[in-house]
Amino acid sequence: MPSCASAGLIARLRPVIDPALAFILLAVLWEYGAALFHLKAYLLPPLSKVLATLWDNRGTLLSESLVTLQEVALGYLAALAGGLLLGLLIFAMATARRALYPAIVLFQGLPKIALAPLLVVWFGIGPLSKVVMAFLFAFFPIVISTLGGLASTPLNLVEHFQAIGASPWMSFRRLRLPSALPSIVDGCRMAAPLAVIGAIAGEFVGAEQGLGTVVLMANANARTDLLFASLIAISILAGLLYCLIELIARRVWWRGL
Amino acid sequence: MASEPTTRDVTERSTSHRGGVASEPAAIEATEVSKTYPGDVRALDRLSFRIERSEFVSVLGPSGCGKSTLLRIVAGLHAADAGGAIHVLGEPTTRPRPQTGIVFQKDNLLPWLTVRANLRLAAEAQDMPRVLIEARSAEVLATLGLSTFAERYPHELSGGMRQRAAFGQMLLLHPDILLLDEPFGALDALTRDRLNVELLRLWQVRQQTVLLITHSIAEAVFLSDRVLVMSERPGRIIADLKIRCARPRDPQSTRASPEFTAHVLELSRMMGVV
Repeated sequence: MPSCASAGLIARLRPVIDPALAFILLAVLWEYGAALFHLKAYLLPPLSKVLATLWDNRGTLLSESLVTLQEVALGYLAALAGGLLLGLLIFAMATARRALYPAIVLFQGLPKIALAPLLVVWFGIGPLSKVVMAFLFAFFPIVISTLGGLASTPLNLVEHFQAIGASPWMSFRRLRLPSALPSIVDGCRMAAPLAVIGAIAGEFVGAEQGLGTVVLMANANARTDLLFASLIAISILAGLLYCLIELIARRVWWRGL
Repeated sequence: MASEPTTRDVTERSTSHRGGVASEPAAIEATEVSKTYPGDVRALDRLSFRIERSEFVSVLGPSGCGKSTLLRIVAGLHAADAGGAIHVLGEPTTRPRPQTGIVFQKDNLLPWLTVRANLRLAAEAQDMPRVLIEARSAEVLATLGLSTFAERYPHELSGGMRQRAAFGQMLLLHPDILLLDEPFGALDALTRDRLNVELLRLWQVRQQTVLLITHSIAEAVFLSDRVLVMSERPGRIIADLKIRCARPRDPQSTRASPEFTAHVLELSRMMGVV
């Protein structure tokens, strides 16, 4: 029965078809919407124009993307290492918890974007200040999710490990850490786009390279098409980062079991 | 020393039970054990009893009477109030020990480990040699009918299978004493009956001492040599009943016997069920 077979195929391809349709719809809306609502091209250039600009400037956009990617990656990795470490420290030591937790809560509430000018003064106009920005944006969600994960080990399992006489190290390695992983992975997911935002914000304040500078430059020259092209580049960068983290996160499959 | 009536009663029967010798230390001996929680909540009130080696004893009581607390004190997970003590194989319990295996109502399997890896956990915690763990896990998997499920994860198993795996983790230790905290409480009646029979079979082969917490009168009578009945909170032992059903027991003939019916009726009256 060919109709049944094709129905089955469509059902299996739904995860690909549905988002593709949404993208196509959005693209059509963008391409013809501007003309339909009489928007000026410098306000919203049609998608075809943006894509053409993207292609024409592919060399620059790629090299600037690599600069930003490097800042994001370094900042994110530092946030991952630091966040995990601080989360563990606060969890393991009551003194550290008492001393540091209020400070963390306070810092988390701080608009980190306001720190960007200071960071540029401290760490210069080069990539380092952007790495620090990416780090600051990504750091707190990772600390909080690590702490939350470690603190929510099911009590019955904690008691079970006591009953079988497990050492503290074994309890940590085989119970606390694996049961915290789903929450830690959530934190890592949340932190990735924040790291991108941090790096771009840093580039806005003062930089010579990176996608943020392209955005600023395009804006100053009223090149809306280039502005949108660099926004697309930023989205692709964030999307790639998301896919990479998702690939790793898939290994933590025992969420909610 | 334990309160007089309990001690005398147990000493009399212990000589007849599986050749136990009265002079060797009891498997479990509780002396004036009380437990008070913060806020002056008294969970246990001066409990004394003695359980001989290879004896199968159930503790029966209404929910909230402190029977789980009692089991945790025997296991060395909680401390009793000062003035009382529990000795396991002649030694005071201050912390969990390798001779004691405990199975809870919740199966306590780690979802990220296969059944086989879960089985090994307790043995690994006690640094059992790898070769021994290997050999024993194969044996335990076969005994419990879990061999084909060894590489599965807990969430792929039925409740009965999971509880079997939880038992398996303890059996791997070859413990002298098995502490069971309503291990079948969350299972359906059919699975529960089946696991009861399996538990009896294992106990007959291995001859461990078993202390079972339950609120099922029929289960307690069917399995035990003796049933300790606890009062409402604060928990005290209000009866120590010897079960006279013949062994080996099986679900059909044992439950049909007049002794079984009489014991169930007697215990139901004590607990105010009828």
